[in-house]
Amino acid sequence: MCEVCAIFGAGEHWSDFGRLRNEQFPFEDIQVYREERSRRLTLLTRILAPLGLAVEDWDGEAAVLLDRQGRSAIAQTLGDVWKCAESLSGRRVDPLAETFVEGIGDV
Amino acid sequence: MYDPIPLTVVTGFLGSGKTTLLRNFLRTRGGRGIGIIVNELGEVGLDQDLLVHAAESVELLDRGCMCCARRGDVAKALHDLIRKARHQGENWITEAIIETSGMADPAPIIATVLQDPWLRNNVTLRGVITVLDAVDGLSNLSSHPEAMRQIAIGDVVVLTKSDLRDSADRQALESLVASHVPDARVFDCHDPGFNLADVIRSMSGSRAPASRAPVDGNPVSHATASFVLKPSLYVDWPSFTVWLSALLHCHGDRILRVKGKLYAASTGKPLIIHGVQHMMYPPVHLDSDPDDEQESWLVFITNGIGRDEIATSLDRFLDRAAPGQGAVRGAQPAAIGVPAA
Repeated sequence: MCEVCAIFGAGEHWSDFGRLRNEQFPFEDIQVYREERSRRLTLLTRILAPLGLAVEDWDGEAAVLLDRQGRSAIAQTLGDVWKCAESLSGRRVDPLAETFVEGIGDV
Repeated sequence: MYDPIPLTVVTGFLGSGKTTLLRNFLRTRGGRGIGIIVNELGEVGLDQDLLVHAAESVELLDRGCMCCARRGDVAKALHDLIRKARHQGENWITEAIIETSGMADPAPIIATVLQDPWLRNNVTLRGVITVLDAVDGLSNLSSHPEAMRQIAIGDVVVLTKSDLRDSADRQALESLVASHVPDARVFDCHDPGFNLADVIRSMSGSRAPASRAPVDGNPVSHATASFVLKPSLYVDWPSFTVWLSALLHCHGDRILRVKGKLYAASTGKPLIIHGVQHMMYPPVHLDSDPDDEQESWLVFITNGIGRDEIATSLDRFLDRAAPGQGAVRGAQPAAIGVPAA
């Protein structure tokens, strides 16, 4: 988010929508960005649910991971989500393992 | 505000001819305004003495390989180079080159540039040029994992010493490179039309141009494999990025490179993705597909991790997260060639 004008940006991580559009503030299709971002958070929550974690939006750009004990960790980028998840759960997140998709179901 | 300075990493095994290539380049018109950082293994930086035409802009890193414990020095050298250039007057340096040591792994240099907040705003990484010696290159690749990694991470391979009597056949060299790096572009510095400035510009900011979908490489030494996956044409960007980021987080040390052309479902346009180990470059957007045939593809160059593992994982994930967008395994390979300069 722009700290001056409080406009939601689209992130600077390679995976962010802004990178997809080559714009940090894609005004014209901000709804698309927000929809895709929301869907990504939902997907992350389902992937990490078997580890007892939930993922929520944090300030429009980052994500916050929460465990069942009430602990939390802020992931600034998508790449940080996995580090936070492993740190909170004490378990490894491996997309090559079949268990990686077991929580997804229908998104 | 200054424009970011394009940076090219030049790597290659010991004695491959990196310094000679750069020295010759710096003597040409195209070599003007190039700032060079030389990383020299050992106490004495012999290369600096050779790069006399770039003496004012050489930042020599002594003692050690910059790719491991010397990352901070890479950042500092780049920072000093750029600050100095700007202090001396506007954008005195228009391009920057890092010449790695012969034993260096270029990946940590790329990580340094992509991760450093100041460098991210002041440097645009064009890509990696790997210099391959036509005389000893074949044996170096089979004997030294470092040489293999340098080839795997390179966007462009420049052959040197092909004018010598003992040089290997060019076709054999190109085949060997293609077997390691399916999408590599190969140039010979002894070709009459060869111009390093053109090669550098052609990389266009970590953005090796999309080429026709490459074919799988052959199994090569050091447990290295290269292969191509073809998802369906339109890829759900949120799902794909979740999968790839998890893969690079968990197995980035075994994924030497990933590169691809994808059509994002939300934009309908192609974009180029490119990563080295744990790091991804910002995607590059294309207005239209340079290929005749519209398709999405991914190239992986891996070490100790196989095609089936990754293809199965991608299939399984996209089937669940974005049904209908699984990778197509066993896709018919398209013809691969060495693109023209």
